[in-house]
Amino acid sequence: MSDPRIERLARVVIGYSLSLKKGDLVLIQAPSLAEPLVVELVRAALDAGANPAVRFSLPGVDHAYLCEATEEHLRFLLPYAVDEMQALDARIAVHAASNTRELSEIEPAKLRSRQETNRPVMETYMQRSAAGELVWCVTAYPCTAFAQDAGMSLKQYEDFVFRAGWLHLADPVAAWKDFSKKLHEIVDRLKDVRELRVLAEDTDLTVGVAGRTWIAADGDRNFPDGEVFTGPEETRTRGEVAFSFPAIFGGREVDGVRLRFEDGRVVKSEASAGQSLLQEMLSVDDGASVLGEFAIGTNYNVDRYTKQILFDEKIGGTFHMAVGAGYPETGSTNTSALHWDMVCDLRSGGEIQADGEPIYRDGRFLPEFAPDLTPPAE
Amino acid sequence: MADPRLDTLASVLCGYSLEVAAGDLVLVEGPILAQPLFVPLAREITRRGAHPVMRPKSEDVATAMLEWAGQEQLAYISPIDEWEMMVPDKFLDIWAESNTRRLNGVPAGNQAIRRAARRPLTERFFERLARGESRWCGVTLPTEAQAQDAGMAFADYERFVYGAGHLDDPDPIAAWREVSRRQARVAERLASVSTLRIVAADTDLTLDVSGRPWLNADGHQNFPDGEVFTSPHENATSGHIAFTFDCPYDGREAAGVRLWFEDGRVVREEADRGLEFLREMLDMDEGARRLGEVAFGLNPEIQRATGSIAFDEKIGGTCHVALGMAFPEAAGTNSSGLHWDMVCDLRSGGEVYGDGELLARDGQFQ
Repeated sequence: MSDPRIERLARVVIGYSLSLKKGDLVLIQAPSLAEPLVVELVRAALDAGANPAVRFSLPGVDHAYLCEATEEHLRFLLPYAVDEMQALDARIAVHAASNTRELSEIEPAKLRSRQETNRPVMETYMQRSAAGELVWCVTAYPCTAFAQDAGMSLKQYEDFVFRAGWLHLADPVAAWKDFSKKLHEIVDRLKDVRELRVLAEDTDLTVGVAGRTWIAADGDRNFPDGEVFTGPEETRTRGEVAFSFPAIFGGREVDGVRLRFEDGRVVKSEASAGQSLLQEMLSVDDGASVLGEFAIGTNYNVDRYTKQILFDEKIGGTFHMAVGAGYPETGSTNTSALHWDMVCDLRSGGEIQADGEPIYRDGRFLPEFAPDLTPPAE
Repeated sequence: MADPRLDTLASVLCGYSLEVAAGDLVLVEGPILAQPLFVPLAREITRRGAHPVMRPKSEDVATAMLEWAGQEQLAYISPIDEWEMMVPDKFLDIWAESNTRRLNGVPAGNQAIRRAARRPLTERFFERLARGESRWCGVTLPTEAQAQDAGMAFADYERFVYGAGHLDDPDPIAAWREVSRRQARVAERLASVSTLRIVAADTDLTLDVSGRPWLNADGHQNFPDGEVFTSPHENATSGHIAFTFDCPYDGREAAGVRLWFEDGRVVREEADRGLEFLREMLDMDEGARRLGEVAFGLNPEIQRATGSIAFDEKIGGTCHVALGMAFPEAAGTNSSGLHWDMVCDLRSGGEVYGDGELLARDGQFQ
């Protein structure tokens, strides 16, 4: 018997997140084990009149390729990769894995080369997305590997994932629309702010956000969702930040990341574990040591760190930032092959100040600044 | 636990069948359950300096598409479909099924719409192959479902499939080179023939193959392999033929099929089972009632019908014809969205005549 929440997830992604319409070409990318969700996505897309194309990945294939790949391989870009990104109207990426550590023994330099090679595709993707020509959504399929990383049974993890999307509710779309309104109120307040300062343990970081656009992440591009984000001014980030949770890249964990910024750039980076990967990635290209994103997590049904960035960055009571490529629609001009999110917990003693005034404390916006974001009841 | 025969299979496919070379773009397509072969292929293709493009497909998704898509959606061809058929240098299709009857709930008309819509693209794909601009190979990977259709245990079916591919030979590639030489002699003999007559139980079929090249299917386009084939003249086939084995096509099948030809065209068709499906396919387009292929199965390692056309058509001692799309490389001009192979056993009393001269008795060429 298939889980009805899978079909509900698919319907929300197709109908609410992407609002697919007749004739849209939508590419669905997923690991093979997410097949049950992909089948439902295909059905929902067909019902919307769209044309779904599906691309699966298989366990072990990427590993076999990367083990054998030479620099020449890694520099090779599929001749139609950019054209394909031009042709799509919509794209869905389903996150799931058989083993989240599949690539942990691959040299970081190989991953970096591949990332660099893929840059024209990534840029096309971001440009078309900013121009509103391409809609996209990243979603997750609950699987045992993610459950294991989260320290949960599959059943517990499924409940966590589906509750995070409010898919246990009879009408999840109504709940998301209501949530969206609240996030837009917050975004309206943030748009006049010139400078944000974040204070937490070992953290005192200032980012310039003057003139930048804040975006309410209300379930359109990520599902589940819940954050407000912008692209900070490229040359104004300063101070220090210590990330509470391990930063994960390509299945590898970098623990205890601390970054110091001056004039917008990382000038010092430290990690208690995984230092070489951190430094490798920060030097991928010029933009990799500049912030592309600054965000505050607002989904209070995502209440714990599970080692999946899609969820971790939404944890109600955290902020996160990404080194590397920014979203042009936020006003960010930073380009890079990298976009690496790192999360910092603000639930115990954290504070955010907007142009000197506190607006957020202990993981919650102050009531005078923002509406209550407590998730809808059962 | 990985089966070491799959490493061997991957190296024969890359080293012999497709001759994967440095710089090649190699697209591999197959169902998700073929994962154990995708992995050694990724390794082998990359080792050879080529670029693998892995395209695992979901049978469930394909079924859902056929069931849920409207007419326009069935007929839609995306630019991605087009690139992925026109850009790569080498193509490998992995044939493996989890349920050989999975499409039984799908209206046959939907399959026909889809095939007809894809026909121009398929034709261009075949033209590229014929011009030598690309190469293609289809390989069978044993599955439980296929073993079940064959009436065999999975382990026995694996032995059957890998045996037919000479994978247990100390040097499988040398074994295939020998097969190639043996079959070349049969092809050479057939190449001198103008009128081909096939006589067997309920079968007396005459075809014109004058001037048509006979091609040696020696493991380069199918794996395992073992046949010689050509495309007969489109308007000349006459007589009738009864197919001994079930005729599966695209997840469905007809059985006990008998066809009557006049001036190259099927003018009457009968089947013990699946007659409606047969007619649906024959009426797909103009070319679907004409032959695109006539061939002789020559693989002595394949002696039993297993319900899989990739094997049945290679049974040493059989002939088969295909309705629909012809091979341009065999000078065939018939065009269709269909290419449906049907097999006739010659091993008990079948005879093949070339311009009146007996060429093969009981399926064995002299």
